[in-house]
Amino acid sequence: MKRKLDFTSITASWFLPMVTAALAIVIFIADTVTDLEIAIAVFYVAVVLISVSFCHTRGVVLVSIGCIGLTVLSYFLTSNGSPHSGLANLAISLTAIGATAYLALKMASAEVAAHEARAHLFHIARITTLGELTASIAHEINQPLAAVVTSGSASLRWLGGQPPNLEKAAQAVERMVKEANRASDVIGRIRGLAKKVPPQRNRLDINEAVREVIILIRSDIEQNNITLRTQLSDGLPSVYGDRVQLQQVILNLILNAIEAMIKVGEQKRELLISSMKENSKNVLVAIHDTGVGLEQGKPEQLFDAFYTTKQEGMGMGLTISRSIIETHGGRLWVTPKVPRGAIFQFTLPAANKKVRAVQGRSAT
Amino acid sequence: MIFVIDDDRSVRESLDDLFSSMGLEMRSFGSTQEFLQSERPDAPTCLVLDVKMPGQNGLDFQDQLEKLNIHFPIVFITGHGDIPMTVRAMKAGAVEFLTKPFNDQDLLDAVQFGLEKDAVRRREIAEFAELRERFATLSSGEQQVMALVVQGRLNKQIAVDLGVSEITVKVRRGHLMRKMQLKSLAELIRAADKLGMSSAAK
Repeated sequence: MKRKLDFTSITASWFLPMVTAALAIVIFIADTVTDLEIAIAVFYVAVVLISVSFCHTRGVVLVSIGCIGLTVLSYFLTSNGSPHSGLANLAISLTAIGATAYLALKMASAEVAAHEARAHLFHIARITTLGELTASIAHEINQPLAAVVTSGSASLRWLGGQPPNLEKAAQAVERMVKEANRASDVIGRIRGLAKKVPPQRNRLDINEAVREVIILIRSDIEQNNITLRTQLSDGLPSVYGDRVQLQQVILNLILNAIEAMIKVGEQKRELLISSMKENSKNVLVAIHDTGVGLEQGKPEQLFDAFYTTKQEGMGMGLTISRSIIETHGGRLWVTPKVPRGAIFQFTLPAANKKVRAVQGRSAT
Repeated sequence: MIFVIDDDRSVRESLDDLFSSMGLEMRSFGSTQEFLQSERPDAPTCLVLDVKMPGQNGLDFQDQLEKLNIHFPIVFITGHGDIPMTVRAMKAGAVEFLTKPFNDQDLLDAVQFGLEKDAVRRREIAEFAELRERFATLSSGEQQVMALVVQGRLNKQIAVDLGVSEITVKVRRGHLMRKMQLKSLAELIRAADKLGMSSAAK
């Protein structure tokens, strides 16, 4: 069974095992020096429970066996008290440890299954979103390809001249190489978003993540006569997270903004994407649109699963986006924009020591 | 001179490669705004215009040029053109509508055709201007005679119409043919047609 599906371990890997071992030793000593009537060994369940958070299945089983061994050892080492009640206590402790280990492992596996299901859902949502982008992506690939074809024809003409102009031909070929690389970069980014990989957290520059998304969706924005403005602050602290999932959120929010603006007809359509430091701990990304705005009174409803205002929406986009942001230790919310439109904003904790605590907490 | 307006730098650069390999002169702009602000040389011109651009799209720009009385032949290039788009462009007088990636020869042919079309248009404009200049040198009497001649009136009838002698009509007619540098009645009628005189006479 895979543990820590979501997270590379950030919390120092030796800390929890040390605490657990120390606790086991304390319990063992207490259990040995006290009378047999006192079932201190029941506290080994704490050791088993803690071990679940850093051990794989086999490790938890080993820890439980160790605890059982220590309990039995204490029973023989303890001289005070009635052996009968001691035996009864021994049975209680062993049953408790065994049952705890069993239940803890069950729970852990259920959590992993839930995690996998969620990751799967995120992936499906991502693919669906990419599906909406095909026209834009086709344009972003077609454009450099067109340039390759044109420069290629030009270089053939330079080479076919009498005498051939090698310098000019080489210049055109250089452009072809550059443009082919550009097309291949676009494909690489889409593959990155479409691939099904376990989530992984890395330090990343949120502005760069935003820019990459914009490249994919730019043509959609332009085609709908939307003016795009970006105000990405320089010198933002990096954030810690899964690039693909965060880009999924950004993509989703931008697509929602575009759809909201298409609905308002020919009025001025402006999309503003900004990033800034919210405070010393958080980075804030905001997507402003001049679309239809929010329904009176119930902006939070937007984030409910299966709530949708679109003809062909599943109603999962914002639910999933919020879930992604929250597992990253951030918040996602919406406010109306005056005079028209909406502002979707999310925060992410800046990658520093504070982030560790957040990561540790949400690491299940 | 070829003007390319496309927001994508790679397209501009590759077109520069292509046109310069054919020895054609080209200048490129990232937006229609940039193009309007630039100075345009006094030479046959063809516009290569991207349909989809941020800000103003190519089709709207085509309309705007019409309103500004700028009549360059336009070759449209687009990433994905649809039928309504093509119809609109062609109806508004586009020379050609090409989908990227396009065949280089198709583009060169279209541009070549556009340049020739513009050269013809420029020549016609020049001729018209010259004709008007000559017409302006005619006296009002001569202009009157010219108007009546092209209506098919005989000298005798014109003399009656204007209340002058037939000799005077003949003299004015001689003068006007000389001033307009025309040799025959047929030429005179063609010139009057170009000047839009048939309606002005009434």
